Amino acid sequence: MTTPRDGRSAEARAVEPSVPTRDAGWKLVGSWLVVGIPAAWGVTQVIVKSLALFR
Amino acid sequence: MALLSFLDRDHSIAAAGFNRWRVPPAALAIHLSIGQAYAFSVFNLPLSRLRGLTAPAPDDWKLTTIGWIFSVAIVFLGLSAFTFGRWLEQAGPRKAMFASACCFGGGFIVAAAGVQLHQFWLVMLGYGVIGGIGLGLGYISPVSTLIKWFPDRPGMATGLAIMGFGGGAMIGSPLGVALMDHFRSAQSLGVAEAFVVMGAAYFLFMLFGVFTVRLPTAGWTPAGAGVPSRRPIVAAGGDVHVDQVIRTPQFWLLWTVLLLNVTAGIGVLGQASPMIQEMFPGTISAGAAAGFVGLLSLANMLGRFGWSSLSDSIGRRRTYMIYFALGAVLYAGVPSTGRSGQVVLFVLFYAVIMSMYGGGFATIPAYLRDAFGTMHVGAIHGRLLTAWSLAGVAGPVLVNYLREYQIGHGVAARDAYAVTMYVMAALLIGGFAANWFVGPVAAEHQVAHADMEDALPVGTGGRLA
Repeated sequence: MTTPRDGRSAEARAVEPSVPTRDAGWKLVGSWLVVGIPAAWGVTQVIVKSLALFR
Repeated sequence: MALLSFLDRDHSIAAAGFNRWRVPPAALAIHLSIGQAYAFSVFNLPLSRLRGLTAPAPDDWKLTTIGWIFSVAIVFLGLSAFTFGRWLEQAGPRKAMFASACCFGGGFIVAAAGVQLHQFWLVMLGYGVIGGIGLGLGYISPVSTLIKWFPDRPGMATGLAIMGFGGGAMIGSPLGVALMDHFRSAQSLGVAEAFVVMGAAYFLFMLFGVFTVRLPTAGWTPAGAGVPSRRPIVAAGGDVHVDQVIRTPQFWLLWTVLLLNVTAGIGVLGQASPMIQEMFPGTISAGAAAGFVGLLSLANMLGRFGWSSLSDSIGRRRTYMIYFALGAVLYAGVPSTGRSGQVVLFVLFYAVIMSMYGGGFATIPAYLRDAFGTMHVGAIHGRLLTAWSLAGVAGPVLVNYLREYQIGHGVAARDAYAVTMYVMAALLIGGFAANWFVGPVAAEHQVAHADMEDALPVGTGGRLA
């Protein structure tokens, strides 16, 4: 059963399937990876550069 | 035609079973891209040597002239957010984000042509004007959408998106440098080629956001837990129309809050590298100063998420009280850390200050939602961002003027920043006062229902009048 913390619309709740598809999970993970990978790369670059301050 | 139809607001309504946690990545795709604006300075030096290559030639552009590109982009960010804020509420996030991608990506291409032809006005038109319009559209559209998806945690949601704007420089800066290195040759510094690649790459990355963003259906609320009540800023929980909002004192108080918070932070942020080197002569090298700037960017980014999320628990007004009170104390304490040679304390003070500078940007949309409701929050946010445009010019001018004035009157470079810090502290005390007076919006300013197209403010001849 879905008792999602993330919420659904009133109309959606009436018609949605009771079990979330694996596809939806992959889409969620994929979406976060698309933005997470470049962001992590950028943060790493800054941290490496910042280390010069403490050398 | 199919694409135009796809971009329509009606086609971006979420289907059954849509997980709202897929919306923040869409917002981040936009903000991580347009946040590149903060890293435009990596092109400043190469742009000043396009003809001379190793050193500026007589007909090369001056650094002071090039510096205006970023300022103009920020001014157009505010102007476009002001002008198109109401349109994006009607057009929907997908169309607004697509327009933003076209402007931001296209702006790079026009600027590349300007670099290639060595026409400064074309670079300014491309990056400053067209790109700046893309910044404004891209900044407010995802924020407004996230507020609708996360009525239970608006601070956290908007903090997540606006954190992307702070983090965009962390991608844009090394990317710009790497691309220029890749395209550098005996005849070129690779700036035009880097602009073309970045324009195309950012356009595609922003399209990811366009394709994945969704709006909730009307009347949607999160399941599972009750929506925490809006903080007691608005009586009876009504919405305020965007045209009515400028008649409320709360709007102008919040405008002042943003103006003073940004002015106090943005000027010092631009001077961070020379400041730490001059305050700790012989101790801090240019490389270490660059590390300091990077650390401030990180604090700025993390503050956007951290402070904004905290505001969901302690309330927006209290969060700004902390920004202003703690910020004033830290600014007042900075000169003593310089005099006593305490580098670590100096860095720590500035990291906290910059986290609150970023937090100020990220918390303001949720504050607006608390005060004026969700109906026109994107458009209202757009109008408020004019404060950022003004602060973007006033902050650096103020800091530079104060420093030059001090040095001109015989003050040592090391000590010249003390007065600047005290002025920044005074600005924050002014912000504290403005925030103190933010109270409930009078019921006469509210509309009775949340239907944007039909909503008319009370007392303007609408059906509620």
